[in-house]
Amino acid sequence: MKFQIPIGPQHPALKEPISLRMTVEGEVIKDADLRLGYNHRGVEKLAESKSWIQNIYLTERICGICSHSHATCFVQGAEKLLEIEAPRRGVYLRYLVSELERVHSHLLWLGVAGHEAGFDSFFMYTWRDREVVMDILEMISGNRVHYAINTLGGVRRDLDEAQKAKILDGLKILKARSEYYLKIGAGEPTFVGRLAGVGMLSRQQAMDLCTVGPVARASGIARDVRKDDPHAFYDEVEFDVATADTCDVLGRAVVRIKELFESYKIIEFVIRNLPDGPIAVKAPRRAKPGEVVSRYEAPRGENIHYIKSNGSDKPERLKVRAPTLANYAATIEMLRHGFIADIPLIFAAIDPCICCAERTAELVDARTGEERIVRFADLRRLAASRQAHSNKRNVAWPL
Amino acid sequence: MKLGIFLPELIRSLFKKPNTVDYPFEKLEVPPDFRGSPFLHPDLCIACRACERDCPAEAIEIEELSKEEKKFQMVIHNDRCIHCAQCVDSCPTTPLKAMEMDHLFEIADFDRHNLKMQYVYNRAVPKKPAGSAVAPMSPNRSAKPSDGSESATAPAAPKPDPASKPGQS
Ligand code: SF4
Ligand code: SF4
Repeated sequence: MKFQIPIGPQHPALKEPISLRMTVEGEVIKDADLRLGYNHRGVEKLAESKSWIQNIYLTERICGICSHSHATCFVQGAEKLLEIEAPRRGVYLRYLVSELERVHSHLLWLGVAGHEAGFDSFFMYTWRDREVVMDILEMISGNRVHYAINTLGGVRRDLDEAQKAKILDGLKILKARSEYYLKIGAGEPTFVGRLAGVGMLSRQQAMDLCTVGPVARASGIARDVRKDDPHAFYDEVEFDVATADTCDVLGRAVVRIKELFESYKIIEFVIRNLPDGPIAVKAPRRAKPGEVVSRYEAPRGENIHYIKSNGSDKPERLKVRAPTLANYAATIEMLRHGFIADIPLIFAAIDPCICCAERTAELVDARTGEERIVRFADLRRLAASRQAHSNKRNVAWPL
Repeated sequence: MKLGIFLPELIRSLFKKPNTVDYPFEKLEVPPDFRGSPFLHPDLCIACRACERDCPAEAIEIEELSKEEKKFQMVIHNDRCIHCAQCVDSCPTTPLKAMEMDHLFEIADFDRHNLKMQYVYNRAVPKKPAGSAVAPMSPNRSAKPSDGSESATAPAAPKPDPASKPGQS
């Protein structure tokens, strides 16, 4: 006997609105269906009415955790269109924040994974240690979440010797703690038992479904924009792409912990080899007409921004492909043949950021199957007429 | 693999002080470059509108009140402000910026209109340090009656009431 159970859009196991529909037979998930569109914010449209400099702050607000990733991805592209290049010191500082952000994001994810696995003390400890890197970020940029360190043609804040020393001190604590977490991740039998073999995604499937980031790397695919298409200074610095071949949630946890160590290496390199000079160049207000695709390895995987300019002081089009979107197709494969109790764990293991991945919502008429994209005003009209015509009792919304 | 690798850490933590601070009674220091809310030094502003143009949240409104007296009004809508400090970066006055960020972080309010800051001032002359020749300025929080008693604009205490709370610079 098959049942369909809806999870979300509002559900205690999910922190953001998304609708998962599971077809289950007993405890086993036979099929899964993802429905998006509960958190559409119209950021891409808004970007068309903001100037290049204003858009940095807008793109930064696409995501609350990898805020710097979106801003950097946008700035990389915009700098090409504006035909400016950030000075070396500016580049180093920009990607220093990138790596610090990766550290904070992975520590956050580790806590979430511990929480979803029912290991709440692990969650508390990782989040306590995450404060170290949050404080460093706040010291550098002036804020904990939205760093606003990027500007067109460089960065906005410089680093002095005292701050450098503080970062190195913080790194020491973080390194020791991460080693401990690796030990827990690979050695605590209750934790390993909960994560191992859950949410399997074979190497071939990961390849076919175009996964990105730690999801792909945990299935043995060494895919990382920083290595594959080295931008900025990533071809000068020594680091490895962390991979695992267990293809399960445990692999995804181990990959993220190993990536922490790679990030520590990069941060140390930046601090020790920070070039002298200016941190930013002056940017023109107008870009030349053209289009650009900008790629960036966010903590969750490859982030892509497509920017088109028509020669004015505003972009004509901004298209964002957030890493979570690329991993949705694989999530369905991971959920299949899993257990209901594993849903939050598997879903958390792609480190989903749902509002990053929201684009347009398409309406499907439940009776005719007709699909269309409507304006917000029409949507309100529809809702109002539905309200007016309903008999006010037992109003059932067809799913 | 043996059971309970986590136990020593758990037991050690039992005897430690909590890692969190006792927030409303004890407050953390924010770093010196913390981005709080923007405020204006009306005696330095040349009313060039660069901040208004670059503000991503359209939080700054500059209006010319009188052409002959070069009188301007600036409203900073702190309820809309996203605390990016782009207005400070855009402000061209040297050596001191007319726009600056404070260090306050407890800025929530029950009414968003209380967050509005209003300044009425005469435009400063560009490139010359503003002296006593500049006409008096009266920054008032618009929600309060402008009795003139709070027109003290010492740069360190832009918002008189919250700045006097302990634990904040
Ligand atoms: S801090 Fe940013 S959002 Fe706030 S007023 Fe200044 S430019 Fe506008
Ligand atoms: S605050 Fe600065 S940028 Fe804004 S109008 Fe005054 S001088 Fe110009």
